[in-house]
Amino acid sequence: MVAVTGATSFIGTNLIGVLEEDPGVHKLLALDTQPPPTAIAKTRVYELNLTSAAAEERLAEVFAAEAVDTVVHLAFLPSPTHASGYSHELESVGTMHVLNACRRTRVKKLVMWSQTLLYGAHPTNPNFLSEKHPLRARRTEPFLADKIEAENEALRFGKPGQGRTVTILRTAPIVGPTVDNFVTRFLSHRLVPTVLGFDPLWQFLHEADAIAAFRLAIMRDAPGVFNVTPEGVLPLGTAIRLAGRQALPLPRPFAGSLAGALWVAQVAEAPPSFFDYLQYVCVADGSLAQKVLGFRPLYTSREALIDFANAQHLREVKLLSETPA
Amino acid sequence: MKKDKPKRARAVSKPARPKTRAAALDSSQRSASTRASQKPAGRKRRKPDSSVPQNDLERHAVPAEHAVAQEDAGPSSESPVSLRLEDDETLVEEAPELGLGSRMVPPHIGWSDPLESMPPAARPRGDVAEQIRALEARLDGLIRTGALPKPADAPDGPPASEALRLVPPERELPTAPADDLAASPYFVKRWGRQGLRSRSEEVDDFGLDPVYESRFRPIAEFLYRHYFRIKTQGISQIPATGRCIIVANHSGTLPLDGLMLRTALRLEHPASRELRWLAEDFLFYLPFAGVFMNRVGAVRACQENAERLLGKDGLLAAFPEGVQGIRKLFSERYQLQRFGRGGYIRLALRMQAPIVPCAIIGAEETNPLLYRLESVASLVGLPYIPVTPTFPLLGPLGLVPAPSRWTIRFGEPVSLDGYGPQAAEDHVLVGRLSERVRGAIQAMLDNGVRDRKSVWFG
Repeated sequence: MVAVTGATSFIGTNLIGVLEEDPGVHKLLALDTQPPPTAIAKTRVYELNLTSAAAEERLAEVFAAEAVDTVVHLAFLPSPTHASGYSHELESVGTMHVLNACRRTRVKKLVMWSQTLLYGAHPTNPNFLSEKHPLRARRTEPFLADKIEAENEALRFGKPGQGRTVTILRTAPIVGPTVDNFVTRFLSHRLVPTVLGFDPLWQFLHEADAIAAFRLAIMRDAPGVFNVTPEGVLPLGTAIRLAGRQALPLPRPFAGSLAGALWVAQVAEAPPSFFDYLQYVCVADGSLAQKVLGFRPLYTSREALIDFANAQHLREVKLLSETPA
Repeated sequence: MKKDKPKRARAVSKPARPKTRAAALDSSQRSASTRASQKPAGRKRRKPDSSVPQNDLERHAVPAEHAVAQEDAGPSSESPVSLRLEDDETLVEEAPELGLGSRMVPPHIGWSDPLESMPPAARPRGDVAEQIRALEARLDGLIRTGALPKPADAPDGPPASEALRLVPPERELPTAPADDLAASPYFVKRWGRQGLRSRSEEVDDFGLDPVYESRFRPIAEFLYRHYFRIKTQGISQIPATGRCIIVANHSGTLPLDGLMLRTALRLEHPASRELRWLAEDFLFYLPFAGVFMNRVGAVRACQENAERLLGKDGLLAAFPEGVQGIRKLFSERYQLQRFGRGGYIRLALRMQAPIVPCAIIGAEETNPLLYRLESVASLVGLPYIPVTPTFPLLGPLGLVPAPSRWTIRFGEPVSLDGYGPQAAEDHVLVGRLSERVRGAIQAMLDNGVRDRKSVWFG
């Protein structure tokens, strides 16, 4: 029995939609504050607020009653938020609740979402970061720090010798026609701010590939951390041009203070510390996922970005009315 | 026509391509059989002749029916057209098959990856396609034998004209023309993944931008041929294929030696090998310079990058002196600094790559460093601010390198064949090997400087 926490997140919604149609899956559990729109016949929805104090108790009850053996933990925010207190409760403390509930019941497998952004962008990064590389993202940035904490907790939970399988999928920045996160919003500005004199390489994972990777991780028991990445890299400047946007290069000191002001004014989608990613490389090596998990991405970085840009263009000319999920 | 309703209804749930094909087979078979049943009625005179095609038709009607049945059964297990995420095997395996009709795929991105596309997907449908082809061939034969006698029996107007009219649609229907095109190599070259890739600005995994580099190439060649008038010696020491590490001395305040070495390999080496060189970390902190060097071939010096490049059987240049090399004062020219921690030796041992020592003579005079301003430099994020006879004096113009004449000498490859990859852990051995390579380069430098008559004319 598979339980999905954070079922209304983008990955959660689509993963449930995919598993609903899978003839091999008979029953599913969806846990979130709201029911996911894709839950139809096979999915049983439980209301759950991971930030509440009673979350652990409730989770343990549900897991025990439904004999859950696999938990897919997706309750993470896709974009930086001003409500850093809430995000800490949800991501760091919420993960602890989930893991403790797993310990109390007979959950044997955990699949968790993480991101390659957690490696941090540094000029000293190798061009392809392997899973062994330490997570060096800025700890002062709650969006990244909470996720690193959650990942560390999950790794403690999955320490070998306890008979548990923990699979952590670190996805490259996800773009695509329907996904909505701070990267897609960043690339939707008419003028996209960049840092003068820097043009780092980026990876863009197509949303369908991300969901395919999670499905694989559920189906196959592959303990460990995996980078889920597309083939190929794109310089940020090229990515902006492919998205049909205009880059606005700003000198770094000026850009930092401007971005800080815009972030405080809730206009920018990310705090200024994310300028690291506009300066330095943070690209992950996905060969381990290909070897062990058998994951083969459908889209290259470039194709994923073009797919995103096409949908974005249709939205602009008002021929695509669906709001991004 | 009405009779076939149930079959059609069943086909609705199936993906588009098999359905149309099944329908096409249906109709071709049906029209053929109606024709066959009409013909004997029309011309009793030539009965023995027409009975042959009739039999033939009946005979091959069976494989056609068989093909339809197969198509009916097939799609439940694999659907070539619709993108189904619920079965990951299909998602991955059928990827090249997604083709033009899929919603998820931008239509101008052909899904046929020529390297790994066809084999898995083509097999299940191979026999059906073969059957269709056999059917077509037989129909052709049938039409020829059936149509040739036509002028003879002019009175039988209706069947003859009908046969002629039916020929083109029967030949066209079984395969959709767009599918044929999509599978052709021309399509892949022009509109498929490869076509779009070659037309666009795209960088390789390590950031080398071929388009950008080709625009810069004339400048690099001008510097190589006319400005520094570079002479190479012993370039044949570098193997034409396979992984190899070139280890060279580093010099010249503004490090142009990596770029010139790359140009030398491209212009002078018989196999015109492509070289990537490992650059110091500080370069990637700098605006413009870091991106520029990266786009023309520099890679950050670290074991991971080097391993990956050598793993692809690439040619790699390393400057083990690092920043210590380019910050040498003019008085210390052509004296090799310490060779780091021997990382390149460990790399060569682990990757089983030969090491070619290389001496670059002349580069040390391009920007003679008189003094290093280090306290101010830390404010700007540079390792030091150089003071040369011209630099702060003439402003940025002072950084233009002096036109000294360069000689690039390649020495005998240092083979590490005797040691296995585990030798990389042996610190004493690594140190000894590193010292050997360093000694070889120092000797080449000393000889080169002694043989040189003039800094400017070589």
